[in-house]
Amino acid sequence: MRPENYQAVQLGDSNEYEIFIGPNHPGIEGNYAFRLLLDGDTIVKGTADAGYLHRGFEKLMEGRLWIQNLALVPRICVPDPAPMEVVYSMAVEEIMGIEAPRRAQWIRVMQLELSRVAAHLFTFGGHAATTGMYTPMFWGVADRDLVLDLFEEFTGGRVYSIYNIPGGVRRELPDGFLQKLSHLLDYLESRQNDYDNLLFTNQVFVKRAKNTGTLSKKDALELGVTGPNLRACGLEFDIRKNDPYLVYDELDFEIPTQQHGDAYSRILVRRDELFQSIKILRQVIEKLPSIDGPIRTTIPNPLSWNVKTGEAYARVESSKGELAYYVVSNGKDKPYRVHVRGPSSMHAVQTLEHLAKGARLEDVAQIMFSLDACPPEVDR
Amino acid sequence: MKKELKIKEKSTERTNPLARVFDDFISFCQSKSLFMLHYCTGCGAIELPPAMTSRFDMERLGIQPMVTPRQADILLITGYVSVKTLKRVILTYEQMQSPKYVIGICSCTVNGGMYWQSYATAKKLNEYLPVDVYIAGCMPRPEAVIEGLQRLKNNIKNDRKEQKGSAWKDYFRRYDYYLGNQQHLFGDDWQTPTDIIAEAKLYGLETEETYGKHTDQLLKIQKPLLPQEMKVRMKP
Repeated sequence: MRPENYQAVQLGDSNEYEIFIGPNHPGIEGNYAFRLLLDGDTIVKGTADAGYLHRGFEKLMEGRLWIQNLALVPRICVPDPAPMEVVYSMAVEEIMGIEAPRRAQWIRVMQLELSRVAAHLFTFGGHAATTGMYTPMFWGVADRDLVLDLFEEFTGGRVYSIYNIPGGVRRELPDGFLQKLSHLLDYLESRQNDYDNLLFTNQVFVKRAKNTGTLSKKDALELGVTGPNLRACGLEFDIRKNDPYLVYDELDFEIPTQQHGDAYSRILVRRDELFQSIKILRQVIEKLPSIDGPIRTTIPNPLSWNVKTGEAYARVESSKGELAYYVVSNGKDKPYRVHVRGPSSMHAVQTLEHLAKGARLEDVAQIMFSLDACPPEVDR
Repeated sequence: MKKELKIKEKSTERTNPLARVFDDFISFCQSKSLFMLHYCTGCGAIELPPAMTSRFDMERLGIQPMVTPRQADILLITGYVSVKTLKRVILTYEQMQSPKYVIGICSCTVNGGMYWQSYATAKKLNEYLPVDVYIAGCMPRPEAVIEGLQRLKNNIKNDRKEQKGSAWKDYFRRYDYYLGNQQHLFGDDWQTPTDIIAEAKLYGLETEETYGKHTDQLLKIQKPLLPQEMKVRMKP
């Protein structure tokens, strides 16, 4: 638009002005925009502007075979793709009335937790970078890469591991994989002190993050916040405990919570969750060799696979919050309707708008990264 | 502008015997210091932090991220571009100073990739912008990204001999073609704040194909650029 065609907003007798953040801005997570009305450097009103990443996923899925959609689903959330394929497979299994073998379920748990570790490491880096601390960003990305190397080894894909199919997983684990996983967990635990000293107890970070973007428990529930952001407000809710799926009811882990609901609480919850994931992965390493059996049940020829009529709602706890798929089948070889309930649209749109009000301009990036929203999932 | 006008591109031959040495030296220097604006349009953005940080370390090639389009040399399009994003991408590209280079990462920028049947995405990026290097893959690994950047560097360095590193000139030479595709997608009232035709004249890159029915359409709706009035009011 040419500037002379642009109608500048006529404001009353105030010194409020409007600025745009994004979509191409270093303080914005991904391809996402935010419009701010400012008074000095205090935000009067923030308006989210999504839609830059819209691909029409739910429509595309109606046009593809059940098995083809497996390649499509991980693209919905890029930093944390593993829960997408697991929850889609779980939904299709529920319609079909089949169950994945126990060994496949344990492997899925391992994949989900590894993905959670990778996503949280990435978030630490992103959140630290918004406060001007770039060393944790380098560390987080480098440590995440070690997790991606393991993904590459056991699934064949670095980021998008199209590893699950309805009825199980596609490949057996390679030889000596659990040993390598164990070494990685040792390494990550040895980094705990470094991360604590440099980031989580560093006053440069703590003073910026404390009391920034405080969300009360009541508001969080009203806005539909889930996942680590909800647990940072003091509510102990985790789908892995409250509505166990796969084999999470056999695992021993805790739900970390914090009380204040600010950016600092949110990152602390993620930090504790990372170490809980390591605890879960240790149990998987211990238990997995003793579980024999197939890695998948027999399914019909995937190219002419008519899933029987029915509908299913499957949900898991991803690193961002509650992730659910509602799948409807009318007995054809393609889904009739797929709906994705992603956590990020609640976090990035309404919660961010709510928290931006009254915040200061320099904290917008931090609030956005502390909510750990994932823009491709908002738009889909 | 009328089509009958035979406009010849200005001759780029240099008469100074040392010109070739200077040109080579300048393009050598250009290839060693590139600032990259990464527009995170899609999934491919997730492989850029590993490529930029300590493990793969893009900076050893003389390539650094830059935050503003005005100071950037490379525009990195990382993944599928939806129609809403493509408008911003074109706006960003036109704001960049020449010489400028475009790299399309991921298969989606080549031919639509996974989203070939999507109603919301633009399929081929080089219909809207001149692309220097494509890096295919879904998504390409950081090694592939670095390989693509190396290739761009070589193209810039050997531009005088091979003529591969100057795709940006194509945007001025064939502006009507690119504008036509943009108008087809965004509607006939599509315009940007930059004046490409004036820039083409400035660089001496206007040809017959710079003008056409699409630029005529643009001139109909376009007004000359005027300085904008400040609308901020202060408290009395």
